[in-house]
Amino acid sequence: MVKLRGWSFWAAALLILARCHPESSESGVTLLIESPPESLDGRLALSGNGQRLAQLIAPDLVTFDDKGEPVPDLADSYRQLDPVSLAFKLRAGLRFHDGTPLTSEDVKATYDAIVKGEFSSPRAQKLAAISSIDAPDPETVIFHLKRPYAPILAELTLGIVPRQRARGPQAALQDERPVGAGPFRFVSRSDENHLELRPFSAYYRGEPRISRLQVRVVRDETARVLELLKGRADLLLGSISPSVLPTVKRNPSLRVITGPGSGYSYVGLNLRGPPFSDRRVRQALCKALDVPLIAEAKFHGLAVPASGMLPRHHWAYWDTGGCRRDLSKAAKLLAEAGYTTAGSEDLSAQSTPPKPPLRFTLKTSSDRLRKSIALIMKEQLAQLGVEVELRSLEFGTFFNDVRKGNFDAVTLKWATVFEPNLMQDVFSSRNIPSIDNQFSGLNRGGYANAQLDLLLERASGADRTQRLTLYHQAQEILERDLPYIPLWHEDVVAVVSSRLRDFQPSAQGFLQPLALAREVSP
Amino acid sequence: MKKSAAVALAMVGALLLISLFLNLVPGDPVDIMLGEHAALVDRQALRHAVGLDQPWYDQLWSFSKSLVTGELRSSLPPFQKKVLPQIAAALPNTLLLAFAAMAIGVALALPLGVLAAARSHSAIDHLAMALSVAGVALPRFWLGPMLIILFAIKLDWLPVSGAGSLRHLVLPAITLGVALAAFLSRVTRAAMLEALREEFITVARAKGLAPLPVLWKHAFRNALLPILTVLGLEFGTLLGGAIVTEKVFAWPGMGTLLLNGIEARDYNLVRAVVLAFTFSYLAMNALTDLAYAAVDPRVRKQ
Repeated sequence: MVKLRGWSFWAAALLILARCHPESSESGVTLLIESPPESLDGRLALSGNGQRLAQLIAPDLVTFDDKGEPVPDLADSYRQLDPVSLAFKLRAGLRFHDGTPLTSEDVKATYDAIVKGEFSSPRAQKLAAISSIDAPDPETVIFHLKRPYAPILAELTLGIVPRQRARGPQAALQDERPVGAGPFRFVSRSDENHLELRPFSAYYRGEPRISRLQVRVVRDETARVLELLKGRADLLLGSISPSVLPTVKRNPSLRVITGPGSGYSYVGLNLRGPPFSDRRVRQALCKALDVPLIAEAKFHGLAVPASGMLPRHHWAYWDTGGCRRDLSKAAKLLAEAGYTTAGSEDLSAQSTPPKPPLRFTLKTSSDRLRKSIALIMKEQLAQLGVEVELRSLEFGTFFNDVRKGNFDAVTLKWATVFEPNLMQDVFSSRNIPSIDNQFSGLNRGGYANAQLDLLLERASGADRTQRLTLYHQAQEILERDLPYIPLWHEDVVAVVSSRLRDFQPSAQGFLQPLALAREVSP
Repeated sequence: MKKSAAVALAMVGALLLISLFLNLVPGDPVDIMLGEHAALVDRQALRHAVGLDQPWYDQLWSFSKSLVTGELRSSLPPFQKKVLPQIAAALPNTLLLAFAAMAIGVALALPLGVLAAARSHSAIDHLAMALSVAGVALPRFWLGPMLIILFAIKLDWLPVSGAGSLRHLVLPAITLGVALAAFLSRVTRAAMLEALREEFITVARAKGLAPLPVLWKHAFRNALLPILTVLGLEFGTLLGGAIVTEKVFAWPGMGTLLLNGIEARDYNLVRAVVLAFTFSYLAMNALTDLAYAAVDPRVRKQ
C-alpha cells in the first residue's frame, strides 16, 4: 500500500518537474550525424563522418571541387617541378587555432612522421610513393616521389597538424583536443555523441559567420527528421532517405538542397566462374535492367543513371552510354550464352537437352532501400526468365562475403569517387583478393584484363592530359567488359533550417561549405 | 553464500556464451578498424596488437584478467580507451531509464489490474485488458516516434531526443514502460482474481469489512508476490528494450554503447557491456528476493 503510493508520487512528480523545466535558448547551428566519428584526427579517421569533421578542424594543402579537380586550400598554389617533385607554396600568415603560425615545417613534420612510421596511420601505405620532403623556406614544401604518381594529391588529404603533434607523446592529443588551421576550432566533446566547435577568428578565408557549431549523433533516422521538424537541428547532410523528403519539404522552415553527388552504386559480378565469367551474360543483364526507371522510382529524381564509376561532372568522365533496357537484345545474348529465356520456350524444347534458365543469387545489405531496389531488379529480370534469389545480410556478414568473393552478384556503393585512380584499385588484376593479400584487394569480382591493367598503371604515373586520354580508353573497355553493372550516382541531399543560409553542399558531402554559410536569426 | 556462487556462475556462463558467439560473428574486426585500403603489414600488426591472432579462449583469458584489474581497454586502435569509465558513464543513464520505465509501468499497471479484477467482466475490465493487449503489441520503434510526434512536435511540451534534463527522460521512459505496464496489469488482474477467491476474503467480507479494505489490505497484499516476481524477471526485458529505445531517443546509455561496439566489432566493449547487463539483471533478481521478505512475513521467517 505504502509502496504503491510512493511509486505514483514519484511518477507524478517526474511528469510535473519535466513539464516545468524551462528550455534553454541557444544560438548557433546544430548538425546531426548518424554515427559517432571514431576519431577527430584526420590521420586516423576512416569513416565519412570522422574524415569530414577532422577536415573542418584541420584542413589540407589542397581540397577537391565537385569535378574532382584539386583546389588549393592551405596551399596558395602548387606546381610540378618535374615528374617526381611537387612544390607547394603556403598561404601567407596561416595560423593554428592555438595562435602559433603554420609553416612548411609543420607540413613536413606531419607527413614525415607517417612516412617514417613514427606515427602509425592506416593511411601510411597510401603515402608510400613519397621518398622525402623538403622545407626550404617557411612557405615552401617540396615532396619528392619515388616514381611519378598522379594520385598523390588525393592521398595527401589527412590534415596538417602542429609539428609537436606529428609524433611523440603529444600526437595522441590530436584525437582528444584536435588543433588545426581550419574554419572551426574544437571546444569540447563531452561524450561520443556531442561535439562543440566554434568559429576560428584567424581563418584564412575570414571568420565563419556561425556563432557555434554543435554536432550531435542521432542514430535513428526518424528521430533525426523529427529533430529537424521540431527546429532543434539545422543541418542534415546525406543521412536522410529519399522517401522522407516530401514530409520535410512540406515544413515551411526547412529547405531541401540537392546537388549532383559523387557516389557510385553498382551491381558487382563474380567473374571467377559461370554464369558471369561469360561476357554475354553480363551484357544481357545490363540490357535486361531498366536502371532509369529504378532510379526514378526509388530516388524521386535524386539519382542520375551512371555509365561508369565516374560521375558526369568529373574531369575524367567519358560518356559510354551505360545500361539501357533492350529485352530482345538481352534475350538474344542469353540464348547465345546457352540459357533459355522467357518467351523462347518452344525453341529450347526442340534442342536436346533443353537449355536451363539463368539462375543466380543477388546479395545485399539489410538496408531497407537496398533491399527494395534488389526486389525490383529481380522482377525486371524475371520478365526475361532469369531467376534471381535475393539474400540480404547484416553488414559485417555481407561485407565478409563480398571480400572473400563468396557471391554471384552484389549491390554495393562507393561512397565518394574523386580520384580516378580508384579504377586501378578496383579493376586491376593485381588487386584481386586472395589469401596472399589477406583478401585486402578491392577487385572483388576477380576481373582480369591485361590491356586495362597496363592502361591504368600508365595513367597513375602520367600527366594530366595523358591521364584524360588513358581514362577515357579505360572507361570504354569497362563499358564493353562490364565487370560492374553501373547503376546510378545518388545526389547529395542536405536539409537545412531557416537559421542556416548560403549552405551549398559539395558533391563529396564535405562539411567545408559550412565555412561560407551564415547563421541568421529566424 | 550460495547466492553469490550462483551469481558468479551465471556471470562466467554469460561471458563464455558471448565470447563463443562473438567468435562466430562474421566480419573481420581488422577490416572495420583499418578500412579497406590498409596494408597487409598493418593488418597483421594490428591483429597481433589487439590479440586477434590468439585463439578465442586466450582472448577470453586476457579479457578476464584485464577486467579484474580494471585495465580493460577497447580493442580498437589507436588509443584504446579504457572500457570501464565508458560503462561507468553509460550505466547510470540506462538504469535511470529502466527504473523510470518501471515506475511508469507500476504506476499504470497496479491500479488498472486491481480495478479490472475488482470489477471483472465489466466494461472497465474489458477496456483495461484491451489496452494491455495493445500495449504489449506496440513495438517500441513505432511507439517512440509516435510519442515524439504528439508530445514533442504537435504539443511542443517535450524535447525530441537526447539527454540532460528530466524532460528528456519522459518520452523514452513511457516508450519503454508501456509494454511493462500492459503485461504487469494482466498479471496483477490474474493474481488479484486468485486472491479474491481465497477463503480469507470470504471471511473478511462475512465479518462485514468494507469492500475497499478487503481489496487493498487482504487481497492485494497477497497478490503482491507474483507481481514482484514478474517485475524482477521483466527487468531483463526492460534492459533489452532499452537498446531500441535508446537508439530512437539518442539516449547515451548502455544500448548506444553496445551498438557502437557491435558496429565497430569492438569485442572487448561488447563483452563488457553484456557482462554489465547480466550483472544488473542478477542484482535486480537479488533485490526481488529481498523485496519478497519485505512484503511477506512468511518468507522472512524462512
